[in-house]
This record gives sequence, C-alpha cells and structure tokens, in this order.
Amino acid sequence: MIKVSNISHFYGVEQVLYDLSFEIKSGEFLFLSGESGSGKSTLLSILSTLLKPSKGELLIDGESVDKISNIDYFRQSKIGFVFQFHYLINYLSVYENIALAALEDKKQNINKVLGELGIAELSSRYPNEISGGQRQRVAVARALINEPKIIFADEPTGSLDSKNSTIVYGLLQNAAKKGTTVVVASHDMQIENYATQIIRLKDGQIL
Amino acid sequence: MISLKALTKNRFKSLLIFSSITIAVMAIFLISSVSHGIIGMYSKMIKTDGDIIITQKGISDTFFSNVDILLMDKIEKIEHVSSSYAMIVGASPIGHIPIAGIYGTTANHFSHYKLSSGGYPKKNEVILGTNIAKQFSTSDINIGNREFKISGTYSSEIGFEEGGVVMNIEDAGKLFNRSASFILVSCDSPSEIDEIVKKISALDSEIEVKTTQNFVKEYNQFKIIENSSFVISFLAFAMGLMGIASVMSMIVNSRKEEFGIMRALGKSRLFIIKNLFFETLVMSVSAYLFALVLSLGILALLPHIEMLQGYVNGTLSLQISLYVLFSTILMALFGSLIPAWIASKTDPILLINQGCA
Repeated sequence: MIKVSNISHFYGVEQVLYDLSFEIKSGEFLFLSGESGSGKSTLLSILSTLLKPSKGELLIDGESVDKISNIDYFRQSKIGFVFQFHYLINYLSVYENIALAALEDKKQNINKVLGELGIAELSSRYPNEISGGQRQRVAVARALINEPKIIFADEPTGSLDSKNSTIVYGLLQNAAKKGTTVVVASHDMQIENYATQIIRLKDGQIL
Repeated sequence: MISLKALTKNRFKSLLIFSSITIAVMAIFLISSVSHGIIGMYSKMIKTDGDIIITQKGISDTFFSNVDILLMDKIEKIEHVSSSYAMIVGASPIGHIPIAGIYGTTANHFSHYKLSSGGYPKKNEVILGTNIAKQFSTSDINIGNREFKISGTYSSEIGFEEGGVVMNIEDAGKLFNRSASFILVSCDSPSEIDEIVKKISALDSEIEVKTTQNFVKEYNQFKIIENSSFVISFLAFAMGLMGIASVMSMIVNSRKEEFGIMRALGKSRLFIIKNLFFETLVMSVSAYLFALVLSLGILALLPHIEMLQGYVNGTLSLQISLYVLFSTILMALFGSLIPAWIASKTDPILLINQGCA
C-alpha cells in the first residue's frame, strides 16, 4: 500500500530524516512514535503527500507520488486527515464541513457516516456548539467520507480526555479493520494497544 | 454557498470592503453622471435650436468667441436656410451673486425661454431663470455695474439656463464687448447642410462653420470635462481597488487555517481562488446596487439645492450604469487577485506544524 524507499529530508542545511525505508500494508494500523523533534511531523507530511521529500521515493498503491498528475484529486479521493485540533470550519455546519471534503458521489453517504459514528443528531450544529470530543468525531467522519485508502492522524487525541481518546482510537481501529490503512503520529503510548505496526523515530532515524 | 457563509462570518471585514466599494462606485457614478449631465445640457442647448453653428475661427471656447452679427443677413439669403439667431454667452456677478450665466440673444430666440411671469426683455431689461429669481425680490438688478429692469421670469428644460438671466443681444454685447458668441442656423433640408456649411464659410475668413453635431463632438471644453471625469473616475477606481486588496489581504491572513484545511482535504488552488473571487463579487455587486440607489438620490437632489442654482445636474444613463458595473466587477477581480492567489498557496503543512507532532 505505502512503500517508502530511502527517504531523506532537509530543511535548508539541517537534515531531519535519514534514509528511511519501510512498507505499510493495507489495513494496517501504524503507530508512528517518537519524541518532539524526532521527525514524526515531517515524515507524516511526506507520507500524506503534503511535503515532497528531498531524496527518495514514495509509492502509494503502487503509484509513485512524484508522477501523480492531479495530486489534489488524489489526496481528496485516497487520503483522509485527522489533525490534533479538529480544524473544522467554524461557519459551516457539521454536515457542511463533511460535504466540503466529500467527492460528489459520496455526499449521499454523509448522514450514514454520521450515524455510524454516533453523531447523526449533530448534523445541523456548528463546531462551536458541540464538545471537543464531538468535534474530533466529526473530523474522523470527514476523514472517512470518501472511503479513503489511507487515513493520516496527527496527534488525534492531543486535545481530548481519555474517554474521548478511547472513542476516537476505536473509530480509527474500525476503519483499519474495514481495510483502510491508518497511520497515527502521536506521543500517546495508549495507541500501542490498537496498533498492528509501530515505527519508532529518534533524530530522524528508525530505531 | 461557502462564500456567502464566509461573508456573514467575517461581517466586519466584509462591511469594510462593502463600504470602500460603495464609496468608490458612488464617486465614479456621480462624477460620470455630472460630467455627462453638463455636456448633455450644453449639447442640447446647441443641437435643439440649430443645424449649423458659426463661431470665431481659432477660438476654442464659445465664451471668448466673437462673430459679426451682421453675417445673419447674408446667411438668411442662402438657399435652404430657414432661420438663424445669434447669441452671446457670458458670466458676470449679478446683484449679490458672485457669478451667474448671462444669455444675450436675438429676439427671434426668446421663445426658447418659457415665460413664467411678465414679458420678454426690451432694451435695458432682463428676464430671470426660475432658480436665480428666488434670490431676488426687487424690480431692478445690477449686472456688471449696470442697472437692468426685471421684466419677467422664465423656465427652461436646460438646468443651468434656469440659474442665469436672459437679455437682448445688444445689451449683452455692451456688457461683454462683442457682437455675438455664435450664430446658429436652421435649414429646411438636411441633405443640403454640408453645402450650406461651405457657402457660409465662404462669407468670412474669420469664422469657423460646423454642423452642431460635429461641433458637440469636437468641442474642447467637452473633451476637458470628459478627460477630467475619466481621471477622477480612474482615481476612485484605484482607491476602491486598493481598499479591496488591503482588506482582502487581512481576510486571507485571518483565514489561513481555513485555506490550509481546504488544501489538505484536496481542494484545488482554483477552488480557493474561485471562492474568494465570488465573495468579492457578491460584495461588489451589492455595493454597486447600494451606490446606484444613493447616487440616484443625490442626483435627484442636486437640481433642488439652491446654492447650485441648477448648474450641476446629473444624467444617469443606462450606458453609464453599465460602464460603472463593468468597472466595479473589474475592481473586485483585480482587488482580490493577489490576496486570492496568496490564499491558494497556503501550505496545509501548517496544520500539522501547529500540532507539533
């Protein structure tokens, strides 16, 4: 599903990733762990096609990311994101936030996804009218709406209490069980209970 | 849909853009309307009462032109000339009013001024336009250190004529030391006009003879008014554009996170640019309509402002309205171009970096 070959990355003259190579199979729940400054954010940005690596190659679903002509469409159709902060758009309702991310033929599934995540009643509410845990569940719904092949989650429970964290991990685990590859970057060691693969980073290298 | 919601969410900044566009559009509307109004009134005054105009050669402004009134006798003998009249246009202090228009004309043109009271002026008499008459309750009036008896009042379809006085051309000649500013000639056969122009030109080497249509097209004063109007309109356009650009830059900066989300969700740069263009366009068209209503109100008030004595009138034609609409849309598009471009380049990585994973 994801093949990383000899990826290195520099910010100016400073090298932050050193010749990383690994593979993530379909349906894996990958835990990307490491201290602050270990290179997690950079690796996640590269894996999610938001950042081009200085060296090396990234293959997603057998396709070299460098050779994808419409990266925007690729990202919208094949990748879902869950960020530390929910990053919902405040002036759009829950339904509209999800519709913004949805492909045309997936818009009909919005209410179904909201129902599966137990937040159907929030559909017409605005982000500032719901709790932090509910917002993050909406963010997960937004990531799932296009039935992506991969979900990238960056500290998805960083701003949640343990109860809501468990709910969010459960939702991501369910997605992985249905065949979606889930990549989570976090400090939270609780994820180890859900992960099927763990990559530990230190100073830009895999331990 | 997203654009409309974004506008209501950013109410204060949207209002700033709306206001700057409204002011710019109103300025363009008013300056264009007033300049067209002035040109329209003067053109109408010349075009409705004659087919050919005779002015002094080499003098670009009718105010300074001096044509021999005796030419009228020779002109009226030319075949297909039905009538002619001469006129002196000038400006002078009238009573306590520092400056007002004075129209000296031959008696055969008095009927152009519709009498509201009294009779047409004889020697040393004047009739007052409706607007200027409101400022005098005496039976005599001082014009250029000479006393004239007020013989009546008149109204005219041409706004600025109502702010002036009419007298016979001999009296005006003494005031302004000239024979006539111009002579207007009417013909009974439109197809003969060019031939008549040639014949009149041959009468005197010191005159310039044109059809009134050509005169209006080529009149330097109109060109000056039009060019000034264009320059002021352009400045208003530039101010509006800069207003949009600066407020849009503020908006884009405060909504960076939102554009980062859109980019991360796979929305294209074009999607963001189109949305921002649409937001500006909605504000611009609303501001245009608001400015149109305000301008119509102001233009309707202008003729009733006593201080202006009817000299400033505006004509808001469909052509001006469309020209201003086009300018408004251009203003919106150019004003939001750079901010929208910057917004579309928002790097979604900022969302991950803020999380500091």
